[in-house]
Amino acid sequence: MRRSANWRSLRERGHPGRRVRLRLVVACVATAAVAGPLLWYWQASRLPSTYAVTDHGYADAGGATHNQAAHAHVGHSGRSVDALTADPARPPDVALTLTARQERFALASGRKVRGYTLNGQSPGPVIRATAGQLVQVTLINESVPDGVALHWHGVDVPNAADGVAGVTQDAVGLGRTHTYRFVVDPGTYWYHSHQVSHAQVVGGMLGALVVSPDPADTLALVHVYDGIRTVNGQEGDVRVPAAPGQRVRVRIVNTDNGRMSAWVSGAPFTLVAIDGTDVHGPTEVRDVAVPVTAGARADLSISMPADGGGVRVHLGGSAALLLGAGAPAVPKPAAELDPLGYGTPAALAFDPERADRRFEYDIGRRPGFLDGKPGLWWSINGHLYPDVPMFTVAEGDVVRMRIANHSGEAHPMHLHGHHALVLSRDGRSATGSPWWVDSLDVGNGESYDIAFVADNPGIWMDHCHNLPHAGEGLTAHLMYEGVTTPYTVGGRAGNEPE
Amino acid sequence: MRTAYRVLAYIIAAEVVIQAMAMVYAVAGLGKWIEDGGVLDKAVMDSDTTPFDEVVGFAIHGINGMMVIPLLALVFLIVSFFARIRGGVKWAGLVLLLVVLQIVLGISGHSVPFLGALHGLNALLLFSAAVYAARRERTITGTPTAVGEHRVPTTA
Ligand SMILES: [Cu+2]
Repeated sequence: MRRSANWRSLRERGHPGRRVRLRLVVACVATAAVAGPLLWYWQASRLPSTYAVTDHGYADAGGATHNQAAHAHVGHSGRSVDALTADPARPPDVALTLTARQERFALASGRKVRGYTLNGQSPGPVIRATAGQLVQVTLINESVPDGVALHWHGVDVPNAADGVAGVTQDAVGLGRTHTYRFVVDPGTYWYHSHQVSHAQVVGGMLGALVVSPDPADTLALVHVYDGIRTVNGQEGDVRVPAAPGQRVRVRIVNTDNGRMSAWVSGAPFTLVAIDGTDVHGPTEVRDVAVPVTAGARADLSISMPADGGGVRVHLGGSAALLLGAGAPAVPKPAAELDPLGYGTPAALAFDPERADRRFEYDIGRRPGFLDGKPGLWWSINGHLYPDVPMFTVAEGDVVRMRIANHSGEAHPMHLHGHHALVLSRDGRSATGSPWWVDSLDVGNGESYDIAFVADNPGIWMDHCHNLPHAGEGLTAHLMYEGVTTPYTVGGRAGNEPE
Repeated sequence: MRTAYRVLAYIIAAEVVIQAMAMVYAVAGLGKWIEDGGVLDKAVMDSDTTPFDEVVGFAIHGINGMMVIPLLALVFLIVSFFARIRGGVKWAGLVLLLVVLQIVLGISGHSVPFLGALHGLNALLLFSAAVYAARRERTITGTPTAVGEHRVPTTA
């Protein structure tokens, strides 16, 4: 009683000590109001030191009814990614060993750079095979402290051979080995590390895989080392012998993080394959640039002029292949070849209109915390990683996906283990050859409808191939019902796929 | 706390100056590199490598602008709650608001270049607001409305 009376009298007199205390309380409450939510979001965003990708985010069944999902589940439950392999009894047709090192090395051009090599070189050895062969690669990590894992970009490998650290295997530590086995289809592919990939791929842990009966094909694997663009490790103008009248197939591989344009002077050309799949009925074109997005491949076929004239294939602004006598450099043509309307239509083996699953992959950008780090991060369907969809399918499903991008930047989206058919862009339907991709450039403000058949069970990354973007949250997964993984991100192996 | 308020305000103003210098340093380095035969395109831009030394200016601009300055502005606002400066909270709030606007304009400028121009204009507003807040504290100190233990309050 006495105490409260005192308080009242204090208030009435406006005691300075009390005013100070009150101000302090108000200041503390205001501080809590400002800092509290931030601290909460920060804490909530922190990832555990080890986690399975399948434990994060939320399952997205793509509108499949419960019954369908339950039905598809029968007889498939509990398969580990480790069990999804090529026939283990089949002997390999092509077998080789790749030894990974972190070192300072010389490019084919002679320039010394610091980075990563396979068998002492970067780009690594070109792996050549023919259709239907079983390729077996034994990876040895000799001196890469962070560990390595090799992903076969564009090859629809069995899931166990996908080479994603923390999803389909553990990163291969110092002194350890890992064996990849898969059967190949014709086409131009490449391989690269999927462990700390944003650093290891830039640093040169990559190479080409060419599946073709013709060993004379010209490879143009483009990679930027230390800010210098190279073609097969060579800088500037790279000469390739070619006889008049000869048909030259140039297999372009963009291993960088951004889109590159290729254009030809000296002769017309045809775009004969995209991402390892032949274009149906391609027509000869000239004075157009061919966009090659990050991770993508484009095969150009060029007839050398009968009069002995040479040809120049421009690869971005600073590198070029000179076929035969070569030709002068010309500026990039304003017109771009749009695969949406290139070539002629062909029958499909599936009906995209009868989709079992329909997914949205909506790319945005918003402020928030990613594993405790504040910043502006890429969002998927409005959420930040790891609160992203797990696109869930059953084997045999026809899957449609709409990839829309309003994030302010372009994203080269890459789905592992599958090739997807582009149906339309911004609502405009494809009118040309079936356009099959594994790496699709989705520009800012664009939206693509794609479709594919879920015919390769496993847990597959579906991410941006501007690799730093993948580490900034632009990573989701496609998961088949009943498939599980024993591997985790983080953990003792230090798995860090992005 | 009043000193902290003033110092933080000046640091934020100085950070804006550093941002402008870092950007021009990087752009000048880029220009010289291209003059010397360097070629820039999307792949080189996204390659995470260092084709020319001044590229560090872009990194400084990004880290400062996205992490350091927002954190400073946040701490500035919290300090203003305790600093007991008339209008102190208002000015700290304005500084934080301008910082947020600056980030939005900076990011949007990548797709709509005109917003990049506004990013430059807003930098001057932010600098002015921070300096004004810092100097305002000095002029207001000692006026009767400031409440301190040594002062006998005037009561109604
Ligand atoms: Cu991206």
